[in-house]
Amino acid sequence: MKFVDEFRDAELGRALAGEILSLVESGRHYKFMEVCGGHTHSIYKYGVDDLLPANVELVHGPGCPVCVIPMGRVDDGIALAHEPGVVFTCFGDMMRVPGSNGSLLDAKAAGADVRMVYSPLDALRIARQNPDREVVFFAIGFETTAPSTALTLKRARAEGVTNFSCMCSHVTIVPPLRALLESPDLRLDGFIGPGHVSTVVGARPFEFIPADYGKPVVIAGFEPLDILQAITMILRQLGDGQCEVENQYKRVVPYEGNLRALEVMAEVFELRPHFEWRGLGFISHSGLKLSEAYAELDAEQRFSVPGVRVADPKACQCGEVLKGVIKPWECKVFGTACTPERPIGTCMVSSEGACAAYYNFGRFAREREVV
Amino acid sequence: MTTAPTSAPVCGSQHCITCGDDGDPMTVLRVDDQRGLALCGAEDGERVTVEIALVAPVAPGDRLLVHAGTAIARLEPEPA
Repeated sequence: MKFVDEFRDAELGRALAGEILSLVESGRHYKFMEVCGGHTHSIYKYGVDDLLPANVELVHGPGCPVCVIPMGRVDDGIALAHEPGVVFTCFGDMMRVPGSNGSLLDAKAAGADVRMVYSPLDALRIARQNPDREVVFFAIGFETTAPSTALTLKRARAEGVTNFSCMCSHVTIVPPLRALLESPDLRLDGFIGPGHVSTVVGARPFEFIPADYGKPVVIAGFEPLDILQAITMILRQLGDGQCEVENQYKRVVPYEGNLRALEVMAEVFELRPHFEWRGLGFISHSGLKLSEAYAELDAEQRFSVPGVRVADPKACQCGEVLKGVIKPWECKVFGTACTPERPIGTCMVSSEGACAAYYNFGRFAREREVV
Repeated sequence: MTTAPTSAPVCGSQHCITCGDDGDPMTVLRVDDQRGLALCGAEDGERVTVEIALVAPVAPGDRLLVHAGTAIARLEPEPA
């Protein structure tokens, strides 16, 4: 299959691993953050980590939208799902995220009409098919997903579907990266940039990382060779004393992004002054809400949403995992009280969550062997 | 705390579609220009209705990268 087979070639993988070995300086420890949960998933699925020298460490970033949703937001969704006449729609993994008193799946079991959808268009179709019900779509995701929600809202308005609304929890990728770079907890040497977010936003929004913080960024695809090549590109920049945004994923990502997607997002959404991220706290201008022009489709205006703030469970260390301060297996409840079947923290829910990726692919080793 | 049962639905065996960076390569099979939608075929044979506003115009045979029901980029054609 084009775009897949050639990026999983074992021989090329070994060659890239050899190149990485030749590029690292002995005695220096390299810490690179893969921003996107999709990269985390690929790294552990394909064992990319095992091909790296012991002094190259990959730190998992906050790029899983399920993992960064705070408990209070889940509780708000559940409250909406229990409103009379409401059909509450959301993506699959979101149904399993624990709130302070159960998940949306528990709410469904308790009688709320909660339905899983694969796209916002599915939610709009449910609204068309059920004109006597109020259909709410729980929108989550980064800039990759936000255009899909925006287009669906435009479509709802154009078609005159009045029983459809959106509880918008979309987030943007740059503010949490800036927050992480400002964090004293974390010393990073470079970033593996998010591939499909960049399809929408382009490479330009990441230029502040080399410009302001002196760290290289390489936007990468999701196959194992993409990730290995991105690591060689970061190491080359470091070795040559360069620092810039490079695009390893040119076959999909244009440097300027998708301008139509950016336009439709600008029309339908506006930035919230603050948005709470699980483990990272409130970050300014990091979340999206519906713009005034689309206020009539905003579920938070149509219904009464509690909007309470709930502290994460004490045992859960998702925040430290999301900041890359600890590895998933260093969390006190990893693999014992917290498993993908019975998650306590959000990082164990989504297959893109760092904890679930470690757990599902058996990456329990405390120390890696040197290749 | 109440916890989810083990049979909870997930978005897919390999990837969660809610992840901001999941994308599926698909081929356009039929285009409904009037509604701005296209019927697309996934690699596994599944057929999906896709929003094409961000990449239009498209024609049957075009390859698209699809995320959450929306084509977000064009891909190069599959070699013959």
